[in-house]
Amino acid sequence: MTQLLNYAVPGIPFGCVFALMAVGLVLTYKASGVFNLAFGAQAFVSALAFVSLIEDGWPRWAAGVLAVFVLGPVVGLLLDRLLFRRIRTASPLVKLVPSLGLLVALPQLALIIAGSTPDIPPPALFVNAQRVYLHLGSVPLSGLELSISGCTVLVVGVLVALFRFTPVGLEMRAVVESPRMTELAGVNAGRVSAFAWMLSSVMAALAGVLLAPLYSQLDPQNFTVLLVWGIAGAVIGRFASLPLALLGGLGLGVAQQILAGYLPAGIISTGLRPSLPFVVLLIFLPFTRQRQLDDPLSGCDPPSATIETETLGYRSATTLAGAGDGGAHAVSLWHRRLESEAPDSLWARAARRPTSTLAWLVTGLAVLSALTWVPGDWLLTMTQGIAFSVICLSLTVLTGMSGQISLCQATFAGLGGFAAGQLADHFGLPVVLGMMAGGLLAALLGVIVAVPTLRLAGLPLALATLAFALLADNILFPTSWVGNGAGGVTVPRPTAGPVSFAAPRPFFLLSLAILGATAGIVKLVGDGTMGRFLAAMRGSEVASTSVGIDVYRLRVIVFAVSAGLAGVGGALFGSLEGSLSPNDFGYQISAVLLVVVAIVGLGSISGGVVAGLVYTTLQKAVTTLPSRYAGLVAVLFGLATLSYTRHPEGFLDYLGSRLLGFIGRHRSLSHLMGRHGPDGEGHPPPIEGAERPDGDALAPTRAPGGAT
Amino acid sequence: MSGDLLVAKGISKQFGGIEALSELSFEVARGEAVGIVGPNGAGKTTLFNCLLGLDPPDTGTVTFDGVRIDRLPVWRRSRLGIGRTYQRMELFMGMTVADHLLVAEQAATGTFRVWLDFLNRGGPTPTELLHVEEMLEMLGLADVADRPVDGLDLGHARLVELGRAMMGSPQLLMLDEPSSGLDADETARLSAILANVRSARETAVVLVEHDLQLVESSVDRLCVLNFGRMLASGPVDQVLADPEVRQAYLGTGG
Repeated sequence: MTQLLNYAVPGIPFGCVFALMAVGLVLTYKASGVFNLAFGAQAFVSALAFVSLIEDGWPRWAAGVLAVFVLGPVVGLLLDRLLFRRIRTASPLVKLVPSLGLLVALPQLALIIAGSTPDIPPPALFVNAQRVYLHLGSVPLSGLELSISGCTVLVVGVLVALFRFTPVGLEMRAVVESPRMTELAGVNAGRVSAFAWMLSSVMAALAGVLLAPLYSQLDPQNFTVLLVWGIAGAVIGRFASLPLALLGGLGLGVAQQILAGYLPAGIISTGLRPSLPFVVLLIFLPFTRQRQLDDPLSGCDPPSATIETETLGYRSATTLAGAGDGGAHAVSLWHRRLESEAPDSLWARAARRPTSTLAWLVTGLAVLSALTWVPGDWLLTMTQGIAFSVICLSLTVLTGMSGQISLCQATFAGLGGFAAGQLADHFGLPVVLGMMAGGLLAALLGVIVAVPTLRLAGLPLALATLAFALLADNILFPTSWVGNGAGGVTVPRPTAGPVSFAAPRPFFLLSLAILGATAGIVKLVGDGTMGRFLAAMRGSEVASTSVGIDVYRLRVIVFAVSAGLAGVGGALFGSLEGSLSPNDFGYQISAVLLVVVAIVGLGSISGGVVAGLVYTTLQKAVTTLPSRYAGLVAVLFGLATLSYTRHPEGFLDYLGSRLLGFIGRHRSLSHLMGRHGPDGEGHPPPIEGAERPDGDALAPTRAPGGAT
Repeated sequence: MSGDLLVAKGISKQFGGIEALSELSFEVARGEAVGIVGPNGAGKTTLFNCLLGLDPPDTGTVTFDGVRIDRLPVWRRSRLGIGRTYQRMELFMGMTVADHLLVAEQAATGTFRVWLDFLNRGGPTPTELLHVEEMLEMLGLADVADRPVDGLDLGHARLVELGRAMMGSPQLLMLDEPSSGLDADETARLSAILANVRSARETAVVLVEHDLQLVESSVDRLCVLNFGRMLASGPVDQVLADPEVRQAYLGTGG
């Protein structure tokens, strides 16, 4: 008993921080419908400001006040005003991508502004962190532990008082229940939601500042891990209950310390402890009510038809040629038209599809350049880009076509790469075959991920896959027969008989061939029956099952295909680099890739290809800048998510529609195109929360819910 | 009874403490059209969900065409020959009208094979396309066939749902308030289409509806549901004359 207490008590401060995170997450989720993954980043920003200010000679209390009560709420207010307010009723993907982007971008932005990471170890907020102030039984309590616990109790007390006794607390409770009705009752729901954001941001800031001294140096990584614990707490609170989230966070903190105490050292404790959030997520997610999770505002706000179609419509540049024609713009590449078009001359076809023609021209030029004059380091970047394009295309299939959000694509890629390397190393398997085998193994892993998460969709699925990625990072990849820990795995360059692909340019051609094959598979899947079924599933899972589609089987298949493609891409990347370490495909990479593909365009093959190239090219470009700007790529992606919420169809399609609009205004070409829109622009109306299309046929005719 | 297509016995369903359906028994004969009316909250949609398996009932058995289906997944029940529409429409956003029908046709016939897609043989067969064309003609949707459903008006959207439910020639159609939100003209057209379908295909229909005119003109038998129980069942005029029914549903004055 004493021993249990000995283990449990040190867990309380951790638990308190987790609880702060969990409560803040639930608060914003309920008040604004956005699950704020940027929470960990906000905590880091405030912690960084706190330590930097102290390093500059500020007194601790002043630095603390500024970091927690000024910077925290200002960041929260900005996020609400600039970003999250717009997407309250958007689809899960549109809500998730900006917060993922910010999770990556905010810490880097803060580091660029701060100039460098502070050299001093982070101090505690009030007291001497190390000194033991009192004993609980036989357990010594240090100043740090006391300050964390004390602050949490204080915050919780203030929250309870706020909700119970103040008018703004009452309004907040009302907004959480029904923003629209609250507005009709004369309350400014926007103001209340902004308040909720500021409040939760204060909690993030406080959690960051309190937790900073636990680590010897400030590292955004630690705060992301912290976020995952907070997510697990929020899931225990079913995304809805503040007290349950509080208890969940606290319990997790204590539980992880007890586990660490009792379990033997080594792989179990180092691996199992970080996996606890995953286990919790997997256990608790299925118990949360799906409908409520999909959209906390679904019961009170009518679904916004504008945004739904914006995000679900799976468009591509080629189909925009017919845009403006009575709203036919949503006819998608992936659904074969029933009547095949009469064969045209090459020129007429090219003119009808100016964007895709242009794309082919650019591609051709790029390949020619790569094979002739491009210097070695940029050729490497291009080849890396192709490998990542293959991985991005796996997201085109999974997220673009079927609407499932996965945050573990990099894990699949990593497994594929490790498998190719290990098979070549141990069994002498030729690397090209190893890539295939890696793809197959990754596909198998995809099935393993898909089966327990079959009933999840949207945000819960994203969180479950994120937890899985963490689990793989901690348990699967460090083992010697998979990722071999920090040592990594060597993956040789392939040879096929007398032909060697070891040199850069032959390898570039091989990569191009693999990308072509991948694109071909994606196109076949998209154009075939599977693509149509996936589009149906994306539209309505309920209706899909009731017309006779085995939705679960379909989901397992699409996960397998997607994971397989990612595995091949990972193997290709490994072979290019010569070796692969678990860091190459950590869970952050999955998040960044999803953000990049979503920004560039999930709706087309070209979107996936360009996304991969953009990803590596920007990273390469940044290396030419001073080292202070190393995080600039992340910042760029984060900022790009701001435009993403306006154009969820993706940058590429937006550009394509602009181009079409431009051509449409020039009459000389219009007769070749056959038809063009009355406004000359094919792009759909922009998202503005309140706007509705005229033919709002799909709004519910009756109040939703009820058992009739 | 060999004439019975669907037999549900002792169906109960609770939501929290609320009993949505209690020990309900319900059967539909082959080719029969049954109307179900009842006040909001009577359990009509819940009954549909229980029959199709979207919301498994707590107790009770469901037999369709002589086969016990209450343990089968939804998609299997659907392939046995049950089509349904939704009160709150569940369309495939972003897909065209024709694609809706094609998906339903391909799902109903179960022709989906993954490897066919990979061999570029995954497209629709001529027969499937023909069936889609026929359905478009029958519902008068040919003009909007290539339009995405997102911008359709409610009348057309309801017809798309109806068409999707009828692909693959199901033996039983379950229609959940197909006329809700439609104006008089559109309802009349719906009624004509329903009559057409029944005479052409001998499909059994279960129609949940508030529009009594539509119900009277379309069904052979009327059931009244109230608080999860079957209040009355029989020929339409007989049921509507029942004083208990008038009390529960129509109001005493009406």
